[in-house]
Amino acid sequence: MTTFDQNLGHYGWSPDAATATISLEGIVTGWSEGARRLLGYRASEVVGRAAADLLVDREATGFSPVGSQEWSGAAALRHRDGHRVELTLHAQPSLDGDGATQAFVVTATTGTPASQRDRWMVEWAFAQSSIALSTYSAASGSWRLNAGAEVDPLGEARSDEGFLRCVRRVAEEAMPMRYEGFAPAPAAAARQRSWIVELWPVRDPESGEVAGVGTAAFDSSEQYAARQRLALLNEAGTRIGTTLNVGRTAQELADLAVPRLADFASVDLLDSVIRGEEPVPGPVDAAVVLRRIAHQSTTEGGDVPEAAVDLGGIDTYPPFSPPARSLTSGRPVLSGADDPDFARWVAEHESRAAIVREHGFHSVMATPLRARGITLGVAVFVRGKGSPPFQQDDLILAEELAGRAAVGVDNARRYTRERTNALTLQRSLLPRDLPKQAAVEVAYRYLPAGTGAGVGGDWFDVVPLSGTRVALVVGDVVGHGIHASATMGRLRTAVRTLADVDLPPDELLTHLDDLVSHLTSDDDSIVRELPYTGGVGATCLYAVYDPVSRICTLASAGHVPPAVLLPDGSVSIVHLTPGPLLGVGGLPFEPTELELPEGSLLAFYTDGLIAHERDIGVGLERLCAALASPVPSLEITCDAILKDLLPESPSDDVALLLARTRALHADQVAAWALPSDPAIVADARAQASRQLAAWGLQEAAFVTELVVSELVTNAIRYGDVPIGLRLIRDRTLICEVSDASSTAPHLRRARTFDEGGRGLHMVAQLTQGWGTRQTPTGKTIWAEQPLPVG
Amino acid sequence: MTERTGEATAPPAGGGDATHTLGLLYPPSGRGGNYTTMQLAFIGGVAEAATPYGYDVLLSPAGTDTDASFRRMVGERRVDGERHGGGELGADGEWRRARESRAGGEWRGTGESRAGGHRRGEGQPRAGGDRPGEGQPREDGEGRGGGRARVDGVIVMEIRREDDRVEHLAEAGFPFVAIGRNHRADEAGWVDLDFAGLAIGCVRHLADLGHRRIAFVNRSEQLYKIGYGFARLGHEGYVTAMADLGQEPHTYLCGDDLASGEEVVTRILADEPATTSLVTMNEAALEGVYRGLTRHGRSVPRDFSVVGVAASPWAEQVTPQLTAAEIPAKEMSRVAVELMVERLRSPGSTPRHVLLKPLITLRSSTGRCLPVPGSEPEPKFPDFDVDF
Repeated sequence: MTTFDQNLGHYGWSPDAATATISLEGIVTGWSEGARRLLGYRASEVVGRAAADLLVDREATGFSPVGSQEWSGAAALRHRDGHRVELTLHAQPSLDGDGATQAFVVTATTGTPASQRDRWMVEWAFAQSSIALSTYSAASGSWRLNAGAEVDPLGEARSDEGFLRCVRRVAEEAMPMRYEGFAPAPAAAARQRSWIVELWPVRDPESGEVAGVGTAAFDSSEQYAARQRLALLNEAGTRIGTTLNVGRTAQELADLAVPRLADFASVDLLDSVIRGEEPVPGPVDAAVVLRRIAHQSTTEGGDVPEAAVDLGGIDTYPPFSPPARSLTSGRPVLSGADDPDFARWVAEHESRAAIVREHGFHSVMATPLRARGITLGVAVFVRGKGSPPFQQDDLILAEELAGRAAVGVDNARRYTRERTNALTLQRSLLPRDLPKQAAVEVAYRYLPAGTGAGVGGDWFDVVPLSGTRVALVVGDVVGHGIHASATMGRLRTAVRTLADVDLPPDELLTHLDDLVSHLTSDDDSIVRELPYTGGVGATCLYAVYDPVSRICTLASAGHVPPAVLLPDGSVSIVHLTPGPLLGVGGLPFEPTELELPEGSLLAFYTDGLIAHERDIGVGLERLCAALASPVPSLEITCDAILKDLLPESPSDDVALLLARTRALHADQVAAWALPSDPAIVADARAQASRQLAAWGLQEAAFVTELVVSELVTNAIRYGDVPIGLRLIRDRTLICEVSDASSTAPHLRRARTFDEGGRGLHMVAQLTQGWGTRQTPTGKTIWAEQPLPVG
Repeated sequence: MTERTGEATAPPAGGGDATHTLGLLYPPSGRGGNYTTMQLAFIGGVAEAATPYGYDVLLSPAGTDTDASFRRMVGERRVDGERHGGGELGADGEWRRARESRAGGEWRGTGESRAGGHRRGEGQPRAGGDRPGEGQPREDGEGRGGGRARVDGVIVMEIRREDDRVEHLAEAGFPFVAIGRNHRADEAGWVDLDFAGLAIGCVRHLADLGHRRIAFVNRSEQLYKIGYGFARLGHEGYVTAMADLGQEPHTYLCGDDLASGEEVVTRILADEPATTSLVTMNEAALEGVYRGLTRHGRSVPRDFSVVGVAASPWAEQVTPQLTAAEIPAKEMSRVAVELMVERLRSPGSTPRHVLLKPLITLRSSTGRCLPVPGSEPEPKFPDFDVDF
């Protein structure tokens, strides 16, 4: 590769220059190819003629071929075709060995001497340009560089295959191109130097052939860095906040920042944020408790040895430390080894000091995570040895990243809180521990719908009723979301209340139906939520099982019918009159009675269990099959049914309630008929006492006799025949007196009351509960007392 | 005796000749001279109740005071020509023979026995008195040719209105307690069921359910004629209750067997086809009664109600289970033993009388009275819809 000389004097000696030799006599003795191109004459036509003949005006030049001085001057010459050619002529004597002039060499250049200088100016400008320029000669394959290019990193780039390919393409295709080159950065996080090289083809103006390639290189490091920051930010938009998970979002921030922005990044959140509490708006106090939620470093492998705090660990920052300062000020803080506070902070924490030493951490940025005016935590970015310190631009980038992450974290936090609230609400509305009762053994499952659909309105319940009976309830409010849950809660409470009054199933559903109609008319918002149903749109199945008679009475308000597995292994779907949906009103609900052998298994469920099948019939068949396969326990049956019938992520929520019936036998129940004769009271007492003795419950005899006297006396005095007395020994000792009159002195159960007879008052005082219920043939007054211990 | 002193309640001090044995006079009433389940329940009940007081039980099937078994028990001289041993539990042959022999005027022996039997403590230190068991005293007694009671007191069962055993014991002043009662038994303690009250209760129960045409199925004619207490009392109660209702009583005697039960239903329905219910004192015929009702197209309890007095095993064995007043065998046995012990401990005290009146246990054999089938459209019954 040659270098342009500063002195461009030799330029005139190019082989193409128009030169001629003239003898001392003024005769042309030599004619160059350049001269031919300039004036059109071939050598044969000119040599031997007087040089002066070539001039337009023979006398005008003032040149005489005498002496031995150089001469320069302008002259007008006649082209062979006759046109005038203005030239600058240089005549230089050609000397012989004695120094005597033998001939003159005349060189002709076009233009004036001033324009010639201008041309040199171009050359000089090229040579001295601060921009790195270079030319590549296609013919020689060599490079010429100007002064600016001497120091450019393209020196190495010229051995870069990509660049050379680019050069060749420019030469071949004669198309200008742009090439961007990078100098390898000394450290991952250090600013990379980059160059933009403009390449253009250099053509011979005469032939139009591409003779070489010209290049001009610019340092584009700033632009590049800016673009990288933009790219990072852009990526932050897509990579941070992909989920509605607080921890995941924080981790995404750390993952994105390392290694492109920092060698180590950590995200700490306020403990209150993690607990799902609403943080206080504005900057927070430095003493606030922070918890490490995410960190990342350039170290290969999963663990992050640079972290001074483990994930989930409590991190505290002294008030002067950069993170604490950024938290209190609400602004990002740039600090480093030259900051005494940094040094002090690091020194205070033993393990942190060791880490900082080991990894050569020297530059740190702390930015608060703030979203919607709420400070959620702090992100810390650190660079270690081999990386340049953070610049102001990095701080801005960090702030921007932290801002985006903060919004993501806040969204995740809010979502988590809302969903937790909704699920908590729903769970609180569903029974957690079913009440203890002995009539049936139960197992249940509630599965919320898969992601997206939100919480639903399915519910189930088990309500112990008087006389060891039990109510089994399952229902479904149409729709999803908090509203469905809330409506479900209202209905469940209503069912419990109505069940407590001990209404028969069909009457209970009638009341519930009324209630739903009222809810609908009272609450416009529900109508707006579900415009097409014109109401709440709920189904309910209510069943009462009596372990003494083994009769299960069911009524349905548009709910899917239960399945029943009999002890002999046969399974079927119970035939029910389906009844209208709740809230439709007007139509009656019909009760259905089943006499179930002891140990029958009833399966109550919501349509989510079977509806995902295209054909509900198929769903029911599969349910029956799953129910029939022998399994050791109800819990396992529950799991088996869900596994058999449900897809991976059900689109609707599902409630499943299994109940295996028990029966109370003669040794647990005793019932007697009583004539309406006051004299029978004593006999009834004696009989009850004998029965308790037979059951080994003598200790309960005193209270029971009192209760029997009171209730039987009341029945004889106010009630109608037939009068019955029943004792049930189960989880409690229940004493029931029934008569044919449906007027009950106190319909409502009350544990303390100021009205009513002393008798009932006494009963209330002595027992743990009492109440009345209507029966098809009258009413029953019952009183319950705990079994004597032991 | 040494083993028994450890008992919570020691036998009453009665001198060296206390036998620590209670006698149980209980003629079997089952067919072929067997004890019925009911009777066995009483026997078991007495034995069980006596044990805590330190008494054993000596069982005799004696139905009259002339039974050798009876006499041996109370320590009177044996009736001439009577076999000894064997057949105590046996047989109504012996009972009958004994009854027959009563005509022969064996009363003479009674007086002697009274003296010998009652005056305990007269002496005769008991050989092997410390030894437990029945064998020894019996051997002893036999050795002396009778005249000494083998028991401290007697529980008498199956009491008839005129019962020579009760007469005998009362006259002799031998401590006894009756399960069941008659006019003489009042002199001693007794425990009994209020059969009249139970019959009234049964009728009332049916009346409360709306029944008016109520028949009464009693025990066998034979027992009724002998004067079996509860058969008569039940009858009286039923008649009274029907009179209170202003209804005509229809009472039927019925043998203690299945065929009689079936036959009695035929009679009832022949007499009054509109009968909708019956009260039965005859548990042995119950199965037959059910069969008869089924044969006559009456379904229990839908269109015919049956209520009775029966021990729970009987009542629970039939289908539908019988709504019935319980015969509390165990409790009666217990009370009888208690009364006996009281009597032995304080012979001078006024005898106590315990009349039990169990309630009617509701089971499945009674229902509301429906109009006579065919006279009105039948009310709908819940559709069970169980097509399993």
